[in-house]
Amino acid sequence: MKILVQIGMVFGLYWLSQCIEQILPFPFPASVISLLLLLVLLVLRVIKLEQVREKADFMLGNLAFFFIPVSVSIMNYIDVIRENAVAFLVICVVSTVLTFGATAWAVQLTCRFLNKRKEGK
Amino acid sequence: MSALVSTPYFGIFLTVFAYWAGVKVQKRTGLVVCNNMLVSICLIIVVLTVFHIPYESYYAGGSVINMFLGPATTCMAVSIYSKLEQLKKNWLPVLVGCLTGAVTSIGSILIMCRLFGLDKATTVSLLPKSVTTPIATAVCEGQGGIVPITVAAVIVTGIGGNLLGPYLIKLFRIKDPVAAGLGLGSASHAIGTAKALEIGETEGAMSSLAIGVCGIITALLALFFDVLL
Repeated sequence: MKILVQIGMVFGLYWLSQCIEQILPFPFPASVISLLLLLVLLVLRVIKLEQVREKADFMLGNLAFFFIPVSVSIMNYIDVIRENAVAFLVICVVSTVLTFGATAWAVQLTCRFLNKRKEGK
Repeated sequence: MSALVSTPYFGIFLTVFAYWAGVKVQKRTGLVVCNNMLVSICLIIVVLTVFHIPYESYYAGGSVINMFLGPATTCMAVSIYSKLEQLKKNWLPVLVGCLTGAVTSIGSILIMCRLFGLDKATTVSLLPKSVTTPIATAVCEGQGGIVPITVAAVIVTGIGGNLLGPYLIKLFRIKDPVAAGLGLGSASHAIGTAKALEIGETEGAMSSLAIGVCGIITALLALFFDVLL
């Protein structure tokens, strides 16, 4: 029963987010709305962590599983992949290197700035 | 044959079985390249191709599993919530780092897509590929992209970040574990975080924090994709 209620809560929240998605004047994915909604409800303690923990652990522990069906449809796009294989690979690798470098440097600079300010006080 | 596989139970069974096999293979080999999702997808494609089963028959069951995708994304709130204390402690470096990461990722992908002359659907499929699969696919779908291409790019990026991670830390001369962790998390989401956890505790914690924060920032930035494209 406990798990069933948790499933109901998460599905209900997702349905609510779909309704919000319909009302919003700009396109914003319902799944992200529901994520933010649950986060806010947890922070405000309207929903307690214990009330969703088992369901969340199951879903998050097997997150990859829920993506398999939609990912298998890549077999219908083999031509697109084959045509652009080099471009895809270059884009993936180069952007990963750049993103890592930019993030890590930005963080180091921020930390240095914070430390200096602390020492200055 | 087609009557036997057009019932939804076939697709559900095949997916569960392939996922189980994928998890087993990854555990047994311990190789990042043998990513459980990648193995399961390949296994299903092989089965469908060998037995001449159309994707539509498989998707009769697949669509049932697909229904849980949205609610699964909802649950990511729980993992972000459980790291809230760490976020409060390091909020400025985390926000600055993740914002820089998300902008760099989207910007560099956009420029390269232009250089390679890719069309709009392919470009929006690649733009969110540095963040975690649930958010990347939601962004892709909302912008009219091709979801399976996003998933493939997300997996390749994750594996790339995981394998390159230790060399990138040396290349960019990153001494601060907070910086290394946030860098890995924002460049290569959960698969990169697995490497960050191997490197150190702080790196791992920061990397998993970056997954959620970068995801949310990217979803917000996606609102402006229309202007960019």
